[in-house]
Amino acid sequence: MNDNGSTTPPLRADRLEKSYGYFRAVDDVSFTIDRASTVGLFGPNGAGKTTLLRMLAGIVEPTRGRVLLNGVERTTDSHGSVGVLTHDSMLYDALTARENLRFHAQLHGVETVAERCETVLDTVGLSHRASHRPDEFSHGLRKRLSLARALIHDPDILLLDEPYAGLDRRSIETLSDILNGFADRTVVLATHDLDRGFERCTRALIIADGRLEADLATDSLSSTAFERTYEQAIGLTEARS
Amino acid sequence: MAMKGFLAATYHVIRKDIVAELRTRQLTTTATVFGLLVVLTFAFSFVKTFADPRIVGRGALWIAFVFAGTVGVSETMAVEDENDALTGLLLAPVDRSAVYIGKVLSTTMFVLAVDLVTLGAAVVLLGYPIAATMVLPLVGVLAVAAFGFSAVGVVVATLTVRSGLGQLAIPILLVPLVVPVLLSGVELTAALASGAPTGGWLRVLAAYAGILFLAGLATFEFVVEE
Repeated sequence: MNDNGSTTPPLRADRLEKSYGYFRAVDDVSFTIDRASTVGLFGPNGAGKTTLLRMLAGIVEPTRGRVLLNGVERTTDSHGSVGVLTHDSMLYDALTARENLRFHAQLHGVETVAERCETVLDTVGLSHRASHRPDEFSHGLRKRLSLARALIHDPDILLLDEPYAGLDRRSIETLSDILNGFADRTVVLATHDLDRGFERCTRALIIADGRLEADLATDSLSSTAFERTYEQAIGLTEARS
Repeated sequence: MAMKGFLAATYHVIRKDIVAELRTRQLTTTATVFGLLVVLTFAFSFVKTFADPRIVGRGALWIAFVFAGTVGVSETMAVEDENDALTGLLLAPVDRSAVYIGKVLSTTMFVLAVDLVTLGAAVVLLGYPIAATMVLPLVGVLAVAAFGFSAVGVVVATLTVRSGLGQLAIPILLVPLVVPVLLSGVELTAALASGAPTGGWLRVLAAYAGILFLAGLATFEFVVEE
């Protein structure tokens, strides 16, 4: 149940499809995601995870199908309930970390902009670098600032695309600690890092060649069983193609 | 309330662009260098052969306008392309027309600022005669032309960024579309200098700039989609 007493799922993909010319990047994918759950989108490179996540985020328009946020088909207005972290930081290098966050907070209509910026900077551990520009940051710090940007409007749903990519072990631990604080949010995490993704998720969706091959509850699986299922799903797809 | 949010979003986009530009001076520096190069080239090539500095001056001014404007719109969208910042902008719950208007107005300001520097350079280096009464009307013409140029330039630059065509495609697509702006700009500058009536060309310039803006407003939402 949500705050309104409704059991409407916060996020639903309904027969999503995305084609680029003759290439079908995502093919008839449907799923529903429960409130305050962490769902992993697993698959090899080129499986369609990023395209799927970008459709959920509203960055890419589906060729067919629809995305429902809290039971309502998504529009520009519903962007406010979603926070997105992708490969690109979506930051302006000419602005400081604080100015970047302030700009996004203002666009999202955050009421207490200055206060919210400081809270989010504190959450990602960047308060001491608030006056620095992103081009002065390491990859790990940029990722954290990008996460701060995604969180600035306090979204219910977080969509994370390969959040650990390119990070060293220490940065991964820091990012994991930050993500641990999001238990009350609905998180969708696209990754090909099976170990880390499995550890974090309560449910795993395995995507291969744009199709949803498996939908698993991770609490009833060992990591070995999950890896076996994953490999079977990928193998099945390879055999079929 | 919706209009207030729309205007606020437009204002935030303009403010962001101005703060970023004041810090880096990337667009204005590059465009100004291009503009000054044109004026300098004219100064060395034509000043002794052309008897009338008014012709050389307005030629240099409007050629520099095209160069500076093209660099201006390329740079203003390059900033949005870097780190995929444009997508971050579009993820905000704001009308995409507000983003478009914000980008057009900030680009207009930058292009106009570069044009004014170029105009000053034309006066100094080419001896372009400009009467005090002509200054304000000429700045007005440059402002309307810069607005029309930016209106179509932002759409074209966004199109090239989103389609992966790259910045080299911008002049190829943009320049043919702004020929009426240039023609009316040149004619208006000549008319202002000679005291001839400006009404007809002014209407052409304003109408064409308006059409470019409305066309941009109608298409930006689709152009910006991935």
